[in-house]
Amino acid sequence: MKTLERPPGVLSEPEWRVEGRDKVTGAARYAADVRVPNMLHAAFVSSPHAHARIVKVDASAARGMLGVRAVITGADVRPARYGRRLQDWPVLCWDHALFIGDRVAAVAADTPEIADAAARAIAVEYEELPAVLDPEAALAEGAPVLHLDPSPYLYLGGKRPTVPNANVQGYGLHEHGDVDAAFASAHRTFEHRFTLARTHQGYIEPHATLLWLDGDVVRVVSTNKAPYGLRQQMAACLGLPEEKIVVDAGHIGGDFGGKGHSIDEFVLYYLARATGRPVRAVMRYADELQMSATRHGGTITLRTGVDREGKFVAHSARVVFDGGAYAAGKPVATLMPGEAMVTLAGYHLPNVRVEAMTVYTNQIPAGHSRAPGQPQNVFAAESHVDLIARELGLDPLELRERNAIRGGEIDVEGDVWHDSAAHEVLATLRREARWDAARGRGHGRGIALGARPSGRGKSAIALRLDREGRVEVLTAVADQGGGQHTLFQRIVAAELGIPLDRITVRRGTTENTPRDAGIGGSRVTPVQGGAALEAARKLKAKLDEVAPGAPFAEAARRAAPLEIVAEHTSDANVNAVYAYALEVEVDRDTGHLRVLDAVLVADVGTVINPVAARGQLEGGFIFGLGQALMEELRVEDGRVTTTNLGDYKLPTIADAPPLRIVLLTDSPGPGPFGAKSVGELSNPGVGAAVANAVHDACGARVFSLPVTAEKVFSALRTERRAGPQEGWHTDAVRE
Amino acid sequence: MSTHDLRFTLNGERREVTVPADRLLIDVLRDDCGATGTKLGCAVGVCGACSVLVDGELQSACLLPAVFVEGRSITTVEGLAKHGELNALQEAFIRDGGFQCGICTPGQLIAATALIAAHPEPSDGDIREWMMGNLCRCTGYYGIERAIKSAANV
Repeated sequence: MKTLERPPGVLSEPEWRVEGRDKVTGAARYAADVRVPNMLHAAFVSSPHAHARIVKVDASAARGMLGVRAVITGADVRPARYGRRLQDWPVLCWDHALFIGDRVAAVAADTPEIADAAARAIAVEYEELPAVLDPEAALAEGAPVLHLDPSPYLYLGGKRPTVPNANVQGYGLHEHGDVDAAFASAHRTFEHRFTLARTHQGYIEPHATLLWLDGDVVRVVSTNKAPYGLRQQMAACLGLPEEKIVVDAGHIGGDFGGKGHSIDEFVLYYLARATGRPVRAVMRYADELQMSATRHGGTITLRTGVDREGKFVAHSARVVFDGGAYAAGKPVATLMPGEAMVTLAGYHLPNVRVEAMTVYTNQIPAGHSRAPGQPQNVFAAESHVDLIARELGLDPLELRERNAIRGGEIDVEGDVWHDSAAHEVLATLRREARWDAARGRGHGRGIALGARPSGRGKSAIALRLDREGRVEVLTAVADQGGGQHTLFQRIVAAELGIPLDRITVRRGTTENTPRDAGIGGSRVTPVQGGAALEAARKLKAKLDEVAPGAPFAEAARRAAPLEIVAEHTSDANVNAVYAYALEVEVDRDTGHLRVLDAVLVADVGTVINPVAARGQLEGGFIFGLGQALMEELRVEDGRVTTTNLGDYKLPTIADAPPLRIVLLTDSPGPGPFGAKSVGELSNPGVGAAVANAVHDACGARVFSLPVTAEKVFSALRTERRAGPQEGWHTDAVRE
Repeated sequence: MSTHDLRFTLNGERREVTVPADRLLIDVLRDDCGATGTKLGCAVGVCGACSVLVDGELQSACLLPAVFVEGRSITTVEGLAKHGELNALQEAFIRDGGFQCGICTPGQLIAATALIAAHPEPSDGDIREWMMGNLCRCTGYYGIERAIKSAANV
């Protein structure tokens, strides 16, 4: 294992958020806080049918209302479609509506109340079509094709990969080793199928947009966390040059993947153009829950063969995600959640076949949600591994120890790990969670192991030095709560060897900052942080050139004013490993479960922001716990039925159990000073740890998320009647 | 819709606005008074982002018709710092990781202010009971709990 250089001393100084004062005084500006003179308000008309042909839109009554400044329909925007990678979502539908909530008309009016009244006055005639509500139905032969002619859809950055079926959005097939031969010679083979609920990211701030035309420039104040990404998507969709669009992102009130996807920005352009005035839209939370890009639901079938020592010799998987009506919410090239193919993370797997796909249905479109693909896959994987351990009569932790990946071994994607902290993580978990101690009556303990790669991508950052030796960091990186601006401050201070208070961080727009990849995919620390470090190094080199050997203050006096722009690409494939141990108590009479205690061991490399790193891990745990225990975006016949935050349950402070986090910092990551990414490390493993703990406590196995009292109760009843469940589980023994 | 002339105090300053009967306090604060520190989240009184104090009592501004604050005194996040000095709770939220994205923070600070006024040395149970109505998606609540405890010296 590589060892770390000693991190610079400034990193041990207390962390004080650069934007902290603004956030605790109410001064921090979010998109919905911005007002401009003459601003109009938008409202929308959306389809009440899951699949329908639009016969006629009659907006005459709305157009005649006092205070209504514009009404537009699909005919006014045709053929404009938007999306993060594949632009397949109509700005307003003109021929077909593909889910309940798909928009068919838009209004701009003097007040939000007038806009709403006008939207209600628009009469739309539909012809209902058969709805395809399930991915397997969409894949069946003869199923209605939801996107009849995708050939004009723009695919940003290259050519859309081919798909095996017209209702497939994205598809992947990976194979390495000789998986059929390995299954044939396996000692025992296990197969399980898991079902995952759709969930919502649950940010507290709804999407908000304010857009106006300034001559031939489109100005956009947005909650989008990747301003350059939005600019590119808008330029492609609207047929404008990128430099004629200026995106200003400000503070973002929670993201978790959901703020990379914009909806209102595209239609507001048409309303602003029609009225010549600024137009504002703030999504209602009810609309957030019914039309923004959710976490994918789906089914995951895993098959693993083991040898006599319990080593995983063969693994195959089929992952079918319900992509909903549009693929627009997915930014990655495959048009699948980023980790869709990672079905058994953190293990040595010499023979693998994984097939994954996202499928079009007449459901709410799915997109990216914190660690996209992982909460689903880790739930399936770590439930599967636990079930295998039980069948083999092995301690679940020991089975993981026998199979966890080491340096030089190959993972489920066919990548050879240079280095692995997996065994150290498991050994630490065994010790810290007192795994070998006896459990209380009615108590159970469950573990989950996982791994997530540090983010990759390219970014640039500018530094400006003045004569007083002050450094300004100029970045396009928005602030969605990860602490990125404080991260840049600490990295630059550390590298230049100057106090933190000499450095200010200024966020700019796409008009006045270097191009940036945007927040996402655990990218900020290695990529944008790497750019900050690179910029500081270049500045230092420049000062050495101007004033060799001089102290910083003197060199700055001589060299300033000075501006440095540095670009950085981080493409290293380095994984961070984590493991959970959870203790639960289950009431066998009701299925009610309570998480009593949690231990998280996380391999994070060097910590730059100690408060933020802890906060990300703690927050990720509760995010994962919500999805493990209570969160489900329920849908009936294509209609979301959890349409407010009372029905869609998010965890409260009363749901937070004691959590102990043990950080492993010796295994260096690709980020500055050996840092790794932590933002998406702690949420994916919680679901499986809960399900495994419940099984340990009462013998009931829940094969789907969330693990609710009803499901535990039902599993307990099934078990009482018929012994251990067999329906989901096959086990072929070979001698 | 009838309109009403309202007089109330916002963070110690007297305000006068004329509003229709159905106008909600959140809109009066954010749009009529320009006090955008208080946030609108769920709009159904569940998330707590719009928490304000009305005569010291914790209220959801997204549910409260503005006419009910006639003659009353409202405290929002903008009223917590005195003469530019952050109070102990605000300092603690920064130091102890009481926020990340910050969208729920105005409501959390207001709820915590009400909590500490009612229970100057809050127990764990007091904190859970009082803060349950304020959702935070970022912190997992641990940082908020640390901040409240350190501000209250418990």
